[in-house]
Amino acid sequence: MVKKIKDKSPLKKRPRILSLICVLGFLWIVFTFPGMFSPATKKLGDWVPAVYGLLIALSFISFIGVWNLKRWGVEMYVGVFFAKLVFFLLTNQFEGSVYAGIVFSLWFILTFLYYYRRMQLNL
Amino acid sequence: MLHLRKKIPLNIFLSILKESVVFAWAALVANRLRTFLSLLGITIGIFSIITVFTVVDSLEYNLRSGIQELGNNVIFIQKWPWEFGGDYPWWKYMNRPVPNVKEFESLQKKVEGAEAIAFHVAARKTVKYGSSSVANVTITGGSYQYNHITSFEIADGRYFTELECENGRNICIIGSTIAEALFRNGESPVGKQIKIFGSNVQVLGVFKKQGESLLGNSMDAQVLLPVNYVRNIVDIRSENADPYIAVKAKPGISNDQLKDELRGLMRSVRQLNPGATEDFALNEIKVISKGFDGMFEIVGLAGWIIGGFSILVGGFGIANIMFVSVKERTALIGIQKSLGAKNYFILMQFLFESVFLSVLGGIIGIVLIWLLTTFLGDSFGMDIFLSRSNMVLGLTISFLIGIVSGFVPAYGASQLDPVEAIRSN
Repeated sequence: MVKKIKDKSPLKKRPRILSLICVLGFLWIVFTFPGMFSPATKKLGDWVPAVYGLLIALSFISFIGVWNLKRWGVEMYVGVFFAKLVFFLLTNQFEGSVYAGIVFSLWFILTFLYYYRRMQLNL
Repeated sequence: MLHLRKKIPLNIFLSILKESVVFAWAALVANRLRTFLSLLGITIGIFSIITVFTVVDSLEYNLRSGIQELGNNVIFIQKWPWEFGGDYPWWKYMNRPVPNVKEFESLQKKVEGAEAIAFHVAARKTVKYGSSSVANVTITGGSYQYNHITSFEIADGRYFTELECENGRNICIIGSTIAEALFRNGESPVGKQIKIFGSNVQVLGVFKKQGESLLGNSMDAQVLLPVNYVRNIVDIRSENADPYIAVKAKPGISNDQLKDELRGLMRSVRQLNPGATEDFALNEIKVISKGFDGMFEIVGLAGWIIGGFSILVGGFGIANIMFVSVKERTALIGIQKSLGAKNYFILMQFLFESVFLSVLGGIIGIVLIWLLTTFLGDSFGMDIFLSRSNMVLGLTISFLIGIVSGFVPAYGASQLDPVEAIRSN
């Protein structure tokens, strides 16, 4: 029986699935960034738009990291994901679109982690 | 970053950080015109979005405080409802009778859930004192407890006594604008006789200045008289006199409880059969507030979309300028890297530049709005103010736009190969 050897060589070319996720991520950010100063977010409190905006900006940066096949991109994305969960929990915003976002984010994270070891360690 | 921090002591990291700030600042100062043009985009973006929010917030504040003055726990018994619902034909409202003093007196005796109850009528007349006169003044006739229903303070003089109200004495309380217009030489209006409806009326007090109200319920340009005096001169059975009975709920009594009680009492006062349709409306301020909620949501949303696009354009402007900046300084980046500059030093240098540009643009935008609200605020006919939350929002947006639009060019610069970068010229 031939044992399949898992490929651990550094990624030379970005896998298509990562490109797709990053493009989806960039589009998602373009559409959600204006949400930081939406009347609904403003109503939640003075500092809520600032925190929400910062989380979106960090997501954007993490996607750039993943796009360039950097490990810090994945680490940042996972960190932002949990920070967002805490944010939604504190602002009591769990609704349909948030649940959909969580499902997508989990899919992104699992894909990123699959390629994590083959990504570059440097900045 | 953690990986880097392990190798570099904090003090060296901070000095490198400081150096990248200095580099970024020097680059901005060296290209003043470009800096100015690129921050103009963000200035306009922040200016438009925060102006919209400022105007909407101010409008909302003014309207809500006007509504608040009318009283959240007051039920108004009127001919017309403030909202039309169901399929009740409007022409049936036309035949309804207006509330009258008899009904008011009957309710006053019977109602249990009310803290105060007042009858109101209004007319527009000219008020005179000596050679001075003010035309088209709102003359309000109110019963004794009118001061419990409407929010006002007396700056000079006093309010009516119950006996004065019941006897319908020719006394009045005038608004501050009327007082200023009639008594120009600074004399106190209290005790003076002014002419309303051609009769002499003694001024008993002057209302404290309230300022303009968007709902038009400011007492500044009103004259309040006992309703028992006004009823002798004005036809209070006419719809033109806007007669209504206002009932304020006791503490602990909800508006719905009071409405139920008033509904029963009014039906009995008007001798309506159990199956007959009501011929009166019980209105409450909540209806107006609800109407405004929808309006503010739409205006806020429109402002958000318009401002959002302006910000987006500003962000693209900054990103574009940063790409040009990186391209222009590629050789310099190469030299810096060959002399040992770390990737994050280059990244910080360009990121600081874009954040500086953006935040500076944001600050200018906010200062412009502040100047506008401070010096031109009065000319809009309402209080316009730049709130702390809008200032924080403006600065946050500009800071984040700086990061988002500057990161890609900055990261691209940090990843350049030193040899190829030096050869780029």
